[in-house]
Amino acid sequence: MRKKTFAAAVLLAAATLTLSACGGSDSGSPVASVSQETGKRAVTVLDQPFTKPALVLTDTQGKPYDLRKETAGRPTLVYFGYTHCPDVCPLTMNNIAVAKKQLPKAEQDDLRVVFVTTDPDRDTPAALGKWLKGIDPQAVGLTGKFATIQAAAYRLGITVEAPHKDKNGKIVSTHGTQVVAFSPKTDAGYLLYGEDATVDDYTKDLPKIVKGENP
Amino acid sequence: MRPIRSARLVAVPATAVAGALLLAACGSDTDGRAELSVQAAYIPQPVSDTMAAGFLTIVNKGDAEDELTSVTSPAAGQVTLHETVGSSMEQVSSLDVPAHGRLVFKSGGNHLMFEMLKNKPVQGATVTVRLHFAASDPLEVEIPVKSATYNPKTGH
Repeated sequence: MRKKTFAAAVLLAAATLTLSACGGSDSGSPVASVSQETGKRAVTVLDQPFTKPALVLTDTQGKPYDLRKETAGRPTLVYFGYTHCPDVCPLTMNNIAVAKKQLPKAEQDDLRVVFVTTDPDRDTPAALGKWLKGIDPQAVGLTGKFATIQAAAYRLGITVEAPHKDKNGKIVSTHGTQVVAFSPKTDAGYLLYGEDATVDDYTKDLPKIVKGENP
Repeated sequence: MRPIRSARLVAVPATAVAGALLLAACGSDTDGRAELSVQAAYIPQPVSDTMAAGFLTIVNKGDAEDELTSVTSPAAGQVTLHETVGSSMEQVSSLDVPAHGRLVFKSGGNHLMFEMLKNKPVQGATVTVRLHFAASDPLEVEIPVKSATYNPKTGH
């Protein structure tokens, strides 16, 4: 039934596009109807939650940061990205930051937002610190050996590739496509957010996440 | 549930036919040129002082395709075109604007990348860009800078 509805929506959207490409009005609404193709929820509740990876990296102060130790018993969001990413990485981190500010102060302080770089050569502790300060000064930024970061991401079902140079000599990095939320009750990664999750999605769900509940 | 389902099955082909009819009607006024315009342009306020992403839609109402070949801006040392491939982005030298179609730049997909910005774009400001095409004359666009979390679907 759901699949049928989805197929119908796509057909309708396609028809709308054809219409507007020919018609006189170009008010920008077709763009909105295309995006409704992705009419699924931003969050996935995992049947088999992820174990929090045993991960020790370097924080923005240049000090070792043990993910399991530092985030034990705390609601935690983990995202893999890089600061030279102009689009999805800052959008994801800003969406979380704006939603977080709407929590009561004590819950803001309790929540751990952890940004793990996938581009550790360029994202030094200082570079990460500067970037995160512009988003959420409380956010934790981690850098270290790429192989260590990649292995931790892999254990959370996230594939990232080592930065490489393209034919113009520019460095191409990859970011994770998902944010993993860990429960303060179980320390397990029980929720996944796709990159189309909005401020509103996080605003609605964070009050549940800080309690370890399902959104 | 059943009655709704059968109603939808009727409605969908009807709409598709209407779309096809209009498309056919369009094909008749041929003058063989692209007719380009820009809509829904925005730059999310960047975190970085020197780098930003930009999004817009180029609409082509004409009968010929065109190609976006470069973008320039007095605000940036360099503006490049990028496609998102998987979870990394790749610079491309040009992008097609199909006849009676559109070239869409949106978050998670194609984007303009502004580098070596002279000033950090702040919300409320505008950034002037010039779009250069293979066939059509350049288009100059004033792109508004929106909040860092601006979502074109909701408009905030």
